[in-house]
Amino acid sequence: MSDQELAKDLGPLAALTIGVGTMIGAGIFVLPGDAVTTAGSLAVAAFVVGGAIALLTALSASELGTAMPKSGGAYFYVNHALGPLFGSVAGWANWLGLAFASAFYMVGFGEYIQLIVGISGAVSLGPISLDVATLIAVVGGAFFVGVNYVGAKETGALQNVIVIILVAILAVFTFVGGLQADISNLPANEGYGPMLTATGFIFVSYLGFVQITSVAEEIKEPGKNLPRAVIGSVVLVTAIYALVLFVMSASLEPGFIAGIGGNQIAVVEVADVLLGPIGAVAMLFGGLLATASSANASILASSRINFAMGRDEIITPSLNEIHPRFSTPYKSIAITGGLILAFILAGDLVGGNAILTLSGAASFLHLVIYGLLNISLVVMRTADPEEYQPDFRVPLYPFTPILGAITSFALIAYIEPGVRLFGTAIIGASILWYVFYARTRTTKQGILSEYILSRSDTMPDAAVTAAESVRPDGGQHRVMVPLANPEHEENLVTLAAAVAKHHNGVVDAVHIVTVPDQTSLEYASDHIEEHEEDYHAILDDARQHAERLGVGINTRTIVSHRGFEEIFDAARTHEADTVVMGWGPDSHGSPGRAESALDELATSLPADFLVVRDRGFNPDRILIPTRGGPGSAYAASIASFIQDEYGSEITLLHVADSVAEGEEFLEEWAAERGLSAVTLKVESGDVREEIVRAAEDASLLIVGASERGLLVRLVRGSPAQQIVDDVDCSVILAEQQQNRSIVERLLGR
Amino acid sequence: MNGSDANTEQDMLAHVLLPVANEEDALATATVLEPYQPEHVTALHVVEKGGGVPDKTPVEQSESLAEESFAAVREVFPDADDHTAYSRDIAEAIFEAADEVGASAIAYRSRGGNRLMQLLSGDISLTLVTDADRPVIALPRVDSDK
Repeated sequence: MSDQELAKDLGPLAALTIGVGTMIGAGIFVLPGDAVTTAGSLAVAAFVVGGAIALLTALSASELGTAMPKSGGAYFYVNHALGPLFGSVAGWANWLGLAFASAFYMVGFGEYIQLIVGISGAVSLGPISLDVATLIAVVGGAFFVGVNYVGAKETGALQNVIVIILVAILAVFTFVGGLQADISNLPANEGYGPMLTATGFIFVSYLGFVQITSVAEEIKEPGKNLPRAVIGSVVLVTAIYALVLFVMSASLEPGFIAGIGGNQIAVVEVADVLLGPIGAVAMLFGGLLATASSANASILASSRINFAMGRDEIITPSLNEIHPRFSTPYKSIAITGGLILAFILAGDLVGGNAILTLSGAASFLHLVIYGLLNISLVVMRTADPEEYQPDFRVPLYPFTPILGAITSFALIAYIEPGVRLFGTAIIGASILWYVFYARTRTTKQGILSEYILSRSDTMPDAAVTAAESVRPDGGQHRVMVPLANPEHEENLVTLAAAVAKHHNGVVDAVHIVTVPDQTSLEYASDHIEEHEEDYHAILDDARQHAERLGVGINTRTIVSHRGFEEIFDAARTHEADTVVMGWGPDSHGSPGRAESALDELATSLPADFLVVRDRGFNPDRILIPTRGGPGSAYAASIASFIQDEYGSEITLLHVADSVAEGEEFLEEWAAERGLSAVTLKVESGDVREEIVRAAEDASLLIVGASERGLLVRLVRGSPAQQIVDDVDCSVILAEQQQNRSIVERLLGR
Repeated sequence: MNGSDANTEQDMLAHVLLPVANEEDALATATVLEPYQPEHVTALHVVEKGGGVPDKTPVEQSESLAEESFAAVREVFPDADDHTAYSRDIAEAIFEAADEVGASAIAYRSRGGNRLMQLLSGDISLTLVTDADRPVIALPRVDSDK
């Protein structure tokens, strides 16, 4: 069995219960009373309409899920199809929507506990007064966040049992109630307007089916089981809701539900009458289980969305760090937990019906995602990229997704105006987030803008302009070259240009003018020529060289008291991806007085560094010593950039005890890195001596940093420094930024 | 092999299975094992599966965690093999992997912590030493990062 198959351990039932368990939450236990009061006999229809809208989106989600079984679910599809602007909207809406939904589940949980314990009223904490249900909700919320934080896998197993118990309780309820149902008991028909209003606030009961797609990569035979689980859970849940609502409104005399007091829960009261006290207890128990399982599933799902957003750099990937002991994405869970608790408290403090405010916000945000999801499907079908091969296809395309998008967006109109305004503000904020944060970081362009830009001749101008103006620019690779000595300028710029060219990036040439401490920087920058005559000549030369090599270049002069340290600062402030710098007796002065500061700088590099000991740059014959590891992988990829540009010969050197083993290792290593036309050289003996000997035939030696802090050791005169001094050719020391994953470094990216 | 007379020790260190959890743990564990010069090392990462329920982390992330751990082990033992197992029960997966690769011993480094921490994080030290069918080497817990 392949690894991929081993990772898939969710069967059809498990997948179905994720959807059902997330959806059957507080919604059906808390909202039917309000639904019947609002919509009268059409309360059943309100739930059925909600289910129908959800089903349209479920069809689209199934197709997208089977085509792209990737972690992140709805966010991933929207980002992939519509690009990172809509991706940011969908990501934030999905994340916050789940947090609002969890807050809503927890408040429902609080009301149930409150009913069981029998305490009500408000508790004052200093100047603010909180409802008892809110306090219970906060405690419950903190508990479920904590469970997810430590990652107790037992909760997951419980989920399946909970769902089965829930369905059983509701089945008994509808069966017994159905026997006593009488159509004449139905309350008055309140009309279609109130019915849609009810659909608007009960729609929170249908959030969850999309979460199945976020674990698509763990589902066995996803092509078959994913659509069954997604569509099946929506159909099943809709049927349950409709039956429960029918029983509630038809089995008791009209006016019973309207007469239920504010401190009571309609389903429990109805169950009490129909099934006796045991029914009421079962319903109370069911409500607790349902709210708990929904909140639990939503917290887990939101960490998946964070993961996918971090992967695309819409948010910082550091949010997804895994706890060393618990193996959970603890930061993501902690932040989501904080949001949930804040929303619970805010829901109470804002005033009004906390349940409806929270569920309204959750529904609003999810409806936006559902609308975008349907549009994404249309985009994927229209652009039809080669890799788009869904196992499941939406029937009646394009009618189904278009209707899905229209109904999802239209339902937003029936959500309470205050909540709508708030939701719109969140969407606005996530657009600003894209413009000011994510745009410069994310590199992924959506299928939509690729499609538009690749057909810019036939597309309307407005569409092309729009696609261009929101295009992400995080992809631009910036290669910074600090220049000090005019002699080495050309060679450094040549190397920088080769790297920039490979990444379609630009070169940033920086001239650092070092002035004595006594001189104020302000004064110095007005009088640079006093410190360095003709200070812009070096940058002018750099510009000419870069332009000749066909690479974009920016130039800049920085006046500083510190030559060496300034390079790090400049790399950080100007977001350099790679720094190409000269190193030698006449470059950048000596790093100085602040040794400890240097330590810190060199152990957490702000960019990838290529440190060049220039003895006349000649790229003809490159030597790379390697013993595996990320450092030499990076050296190898730099060598291949240079090879692409100058057709260099590359020799790999491996020092091993056994020549046969060494050759085998080296062949494999070269093949893994995609190095072709290389000479393999295996020697046994002292590593340093062998490198120096092999370098006699080379024109350029590229050494990858095998451990952290190469630069520091270089500066202090370590063995690496000695190799640099012992050979006669030019040397490039390559060290990669450590905050990349080691895998990226191993691949030399 | 240098023909040492400490035969039993040699045998035990002939092929060491090294379960590692993450990059940091892998580097620390491999570093403390290194002075004993095992002849061959296989790094093992067990992806903790939900077993019928969603995992704690996305598969993609779990697999990159495994890759990172292996790379860290190779910084110390460049020739180390690697093995990824998927299981709900980590201790069981370690024993199965030891069988599969024919390990002479299992070397691991307890991750410490008080009892509550061990309980919450599902510490497997006890299971490892009680249920193993081959030698288990408990490596010293020296802090590698000073």
